[in-house]
Amino acid sequence: MALLETLNLSKSFGGLQAIDNVSLRVDENSVHGLIGPNGSGKSTFFNLLTGVYQPDIGSHISFNNIDITNKPAHYIASQGLARTFQLLRLYGELSVLENVLVGYHPHTKYGPLAPLIMGAEVRRQDKLVKEEMMDLLEFIGLAEHAEIPAAELSGGQRRLLALGRAIAMKPKMLLLDEPGAGLSPVNVDNLMATILTLKERYNLTIVVVEHILKVVMATCDTISVLDHGQKISEGSPTFVKNDPAVVEAYLGREMADEDIRAAMNS
Amino acid sequence: MIILSKLTDIFEYLAKRHRLLPWLLAYVLLLPLPFVLAGLFNEYLIDLVNRICLFILLAVGLNIVKGFCGQVTVGHIGLYAIGAVTSAVLSLEPGGFGGALGFGWPVWLAIPTAVLVTAFAGLIIGLPSVRLQGAYLALATLGLGESVRIFIAVTPALGSSTGLMMIPAPSVGSFTLDSFTSYYYIVMTAALFGIYFSFSILRSATGRAFQAIREDTTAAAVNGINVIKYKLLAFVFSAVYAGLAGALFAHMPPGYLHHNNFTVIEMVTLLLMVVLGGIGNVWGGVIGAIVVAIAYDQTKDLVFYFMDRPIVIQPLVFGLSMVLLVMFMPRGIGGWIEDFQRNRRFIRRSEERLNGSTRNT
Repeated sequence: MALLETLNLSKSFGGLQAIDNVSLRVDENSVHGLIGPNGSGKSTFFNLLTGVYQPDIGSHISFNNIDITNKPAHYIASQGLARTFQLLRLYGELSVLENVLVGYHPHTKYGPLAPLIMGAEVRRQDKLVKEEMMDLLEFIGLAEHAEIPAAELSGGQRRLLALGRAIAMKPKMLLLDEPGAGLSPVNVDNLMATILTLKERYNLTIVVVEHILKVVMATCDTISVLDHGQKISEGSPTFVKNDPAVVEAYLGREMADEDIRAAMNS
Repeated sequence: MIILSKLTDIFEYLAKRHRLLPWLLAYVLLLPLPFVLAGLFNEYLIDLVNRICLFILLAVGLNIVKGFCGQVTVGHIGLYAIGAVTSAVLSLEPGGFGGALGFGWPVWLAIPTAVLVTAFAGLIIGLPSVRLQGAYLALATLGLGESVRIFIAVTPALGSSTGLMMIPAPSVGSFTLDSFTSYYYIVMTAALFGIYFSFSILRSATGRAFQAIREDTTAAAVNGINVIKYKLLAFVFSAVYAGLAGALFAHMPPGYLHHNNFTVIEMVTLLLMVVLGGIGNVWGGVIGAIVVAIAYDQTKDLVFYFMDRPIVIQPLVFGLSMVLLVMFMPRGIGGWIEDFQRNRRFIRRSEERLNGSTRNT
């Protein structure tokens, strides 16, 4: 069953067609990879799905059988679609615990005015939620840093926190925008292992944008390839790896470089 | 520093017994203040303290929208004016002095109505924040705030240039609270409640939503926070504070209002309080309000004579100190408070670790 489905999704910025008629299905409980060269529209695609950008007329996005085209970002989030950002966008001055508490926001049981009129109930709720969030931090290995501001974490810890903040939303689907950017190969492997454990533990469907092809090939069930805003290929990792269109668009230049190098050496 | 640390210890100990105990202690400690001031100095100082309490309300309220939620508003003093004039006009006797409007409502009914009216006005002043940010939002709110003052200044029904006079004081039973000392208990209680509720907001999901919007609006929206709703809510909260401060100002002895009380200079003073206090820090804002209000009062009549011409330098001093503060002390007093709290936490944690290890051996 498709959890997320886009139909003729398009987005242009002035004259630039960033996303061009992309139709995509993501099956429930799968890990779906999204790859493509820089500027091929991967991040824009995520921004369209999560309501950060509004798509062009004629586009259609449905999530969990609900039409979320042109819905505001907070509504889409409350339906169970969470994401991380390439540049993380953590709440730097808030503590690690507060960051995940903000992630929990869609599930808050009291209204925004409750702190003024029923303080005791608000404190009781918050205490329960804090315990739950501490469990989550324990799981991703940030519990001992719970009180320090997010800005003071190391690069790797920040990536974990970004992940934790998205998990705190208790999503059905998680969109990961380059989760491994800037990490060493060992750390990337650890991070992917963590992501897969989180997927099992919280029963998630994952869409991941990643440049490190080794990681994508190893973890994804299905891969879609974008180039210049268009979907040029889709299928299993083996299929995509051997698709001539992908090789030309994505790996083509590297192969060509090798040909030149080989020619020069001979 | 050691005294401060001990004092914090006492308050933390009380807070552990019951959450409200420190507030109760603060209230009890503040009760005899007017008698101490009148005994040691003079009556006038009580009036200053009363005005400080109103400024605390204003600063703590402004801190919610500007400090917690990160929306730069310069129209806050306009909301203060709306609260003051609404409460005054509602409580004045009909057919009063100089063509001023009057409805003859009881004071205790006029004040909450004025607060509600101001809350609604806060919603309107907050509307530009849906589309504008930073300096542009500041300009829009400045325009709205200043237009309120000009509207009052040109409308005889609202006092215009003569101001509103003989605004009735509130009374409890047959006792009228028209002296500095009796009015102190109203404004002091209001200020304490204001600070308390500000903490209640900050330490709830509502406060965290405000802060998330301040830190990163896009991330906040993607985390499921209705950004527009919470921005407007922050404006309404701060408007409630401003409205209450304004209404209490109107009925404060001598019961006189003039549009000069709501100028841009007052707004700069208020901003200075929040900036000095450290944006986003509640206690910083309170201390900022106290320090700046005293400084304001002491420099009010500071006049230099240049070639026999009098020059009032206060606005210059305040503007300049704002620039210097932002340059050299961007975190304000609140920065010191946060460092102080962090050091305490750090020391306590190391002590716990030390104790834990000795117990183990």
